[in-house]
Amino acid sequence: MDSVIALVGKDFVLSAADTANARSVIVMKDDVDKILELDSHKTLAMGGEPGDFVQFTEYIQKNLHLYEFQTGLQLSTHAVANFIRGELARLIREAPVLTNLLLGGYDSVSGPSLYYIDYLGTLEKLDYTAQGYASFFILGTLDRYYQKDITLDEGIELMKRCIHQLSKRFVINQKNFIFKVVDKDGVRQINFE
Amino acid sequence: MIKLDVFQPTFGLDKEEENVVVPKEELYCSTPLAPSLRWNVLSNNAPKDLTKFHHGTTTLSFVFSEGIVAAVDSRASMGQYIGSGSVKKVIEINKYLLGTMAGGAADCTFWERYLGMRCRLFELKNKERISVAAASKILCNTVYQYKGMGLSMGTMIMGWDKKGPHIYYVDSEGTRLKGQKFSVGSGSTHALGVLDQGYQWNMSVEEACELGRRSIYHATHRDAFSGGYINVYYIGPDGWKFISHEDSGFDKHYQYATEKATQQQQQMSIS
Amino acid sequence: MYNKQHLDPHDDTSAQRPDFMPYQNNGGTVVAMGGEDYCIVAATTRLGLGFAIPTRNVCRYAILNDRVVLATAGMYADTVALHKVVTARVKVYQQQQEKPFGLFSAAQLLSNTLYYRRFFPYYTFNVLGGLDQDGQGFVYGFDAIGSGEKVKVVCNGTAQALIQPILDNQVEKKQQYENKQIEKWSLQEALDLVKDVFTSAGERDIYTGDAVDICTVTKQRGVVVETFPLKKD
Repeated sequence: MDSVIALVGKDFVLSAADTANARSVIVMKDDVDKILELDSHKTLAMGGEPGDFVQFTEYIQKNLHLYEFQTGLQLSTHAVANFIRGELARLIREAPVLTNLLLGGYDSVSGPSLYYIDYLGTLEKLDYTAQGYASFFILGTLDRYYQKDITLDEGIELMKRCIHQLSKRFVINQKNFIFKVVDKDGVRQINFE
Repeated sequence: MIKLDVFQPTFGLDKEEENVVVPKEELYCSTPLAPSLRWNVLSNNAPKDLTKFHHGTTTLSFVFSEGIVAAVDSRASMGQYIGSGSVKKVIEINKYLLGTMAGGAADCTFWERYLGMRCRLFELKNKERISVAAASKILCNTVYQYKGMGLSMGTMIMGWDKKGPHIYYVDSEGTRLKGQKFSVGSGSTHALGVLDQGYQWNMSVEEACELGRRSIYHATHRDAFSGGYINVYYIGPDGWKFISHEDSGFDKHYQYATEKATQQQQQMSIS
Repeated sequence: MYNKQHLDPHDDTSAQRPDFMPYQNNGGTVVAMGGEDYCIVAATTRLGLGFAIPTRNVCRYAILNDRVVLATAGMYADTVALHKVVTARVKVYQQQQEKPFGLFSAAQLLSNTLYYRRFFPYYTFNVLGGLDQDGQGFVYGFDAIGSGEKVKVVCNGTAQALIQPILDNQVEKKQQYENKQIEKWSLQEALDLVKDVFTSAGERDIYTGDAVDICTVTKQRGVVVETFPLKKD
């Protein structure tokens, strides 16, 4: 049921996720933050089985912190993506965790980059993508309107368009979304109506 | 010779011995030991009455200006049969922490007792009380290890710590949510219908308790798996306090029914 | 790197037959009732198996010490195993601590013993009765995986749905909103009630019959067992 969307712009990655936690047909909480700040320049937007994805993404986050403490180095987005993929590939054969992720990051070597990761261990570097039911509704919109090297304002406009489309056609009414952008200055949350 | 040592309660059986009457692992569990993860015979269509003792439940709790109110019903059902009508579904973990139980009765009582032990150990090690966030995370991480093995537990961990009143919802799927207002169990939708509509941030303790009580009453009225007594607790800065224990299906029902009747009569006479 | 596997040194995952189901229901009914200065724990002696009755005289109770008695319905093999574990641990405790095992401790011990086997449970339905420090009688009822409750009177086993409502009505005056005065039952009255409910249940439950072992716990006499005959058909 979770809807997560992300896209890469000229010098940033913009992620959006709905903020609902539902148990069967009941909304237990409507201000959940599903975009985890992995480190100063990485966001991890998540969806999937509740419980699983919180445990798993915290496990990833804590390992990155440990690596940073031990070596004094911050891993590149590419390296983190492959680390997450490796852990998922190991876990799918031991105790599968049902979690679908969108990793956004900014580093000095490759600039902004976005990775699509699913629970089976699929890893793909993409310019724009979505996870969950949202992908059925807005990948078309993104294909049509996305352009390479868009500015942050244009990115936000496009994201608004996607969420508008979701509210128009998706039977589940997801009221609130949270937006996080990562660029050379780090991660920040942005608010708009 | 069997050596008996109070501080190492292995009962002198730490070497493999023949003629051991009791299975070894069961002698060792002098502390509440977690059940073995190795086998799960219950997955092979076991007799239904083995784990049938479930609470079809209504429990709720919410934060308001003065603290936290928790209200629960008291029915435990085994399928059609009412196993008990007088269950204590609020578990007193320590003076400042409460837990509610919904789902499997044994799962809730065992793991919340275990949580009580962990909270006490934390106090002894750190010379300060555990936060609600930490306590709920211990429970969440513990049951997450057993995910997929059939544990059934939906609980709210409530308490007052350094940072004020907090409620965390923890369930056997491994979900852990912080929130202002939760209701768990088969009657939760009915209870939320009353609670959401009647909720205000600024309430007196009496008003808040009555709102909780009323929400549970309406849930016991509409949900067949909820019933019995309504227990209400209040948590303030000085820890929890037991407020009331009332018969939902008889005393409360006729009290509310007569109140409603007199209200209607008054309105009739006005119009 | 920190690896999850390091946490799990005892990972001896063994294969399990998909149809491994070592359970059978041998029936039986147990009742316990606590009074001012006594406690009654009763258990039927018939061993049922489907439509057959392999034997009419099995022991479904265990005397843990001179003031605590455990009675168990359900699968008989598990009953024997459970009684062995619990009596052994009570004995070890009493040797070690040089004091008798209390009723409350016994209830907690039983609960933990049952829950320890959460994923391979004892197929047993227990009642535990006895006297507390002051000599007052109390009883506990449990489900198969260790959830229990302290009550005045309880029934477990195949005739639970037949007997428990009668006990509630007579002892706790449940559903009697007119005359809610809860009176004290003398030992003799209580014994008569217990015998009555078993006789009645024997008429309607195929797994209840033959005889019922009634353990009476009092401070003066400790545990005294009498066998009350039921119909043998």
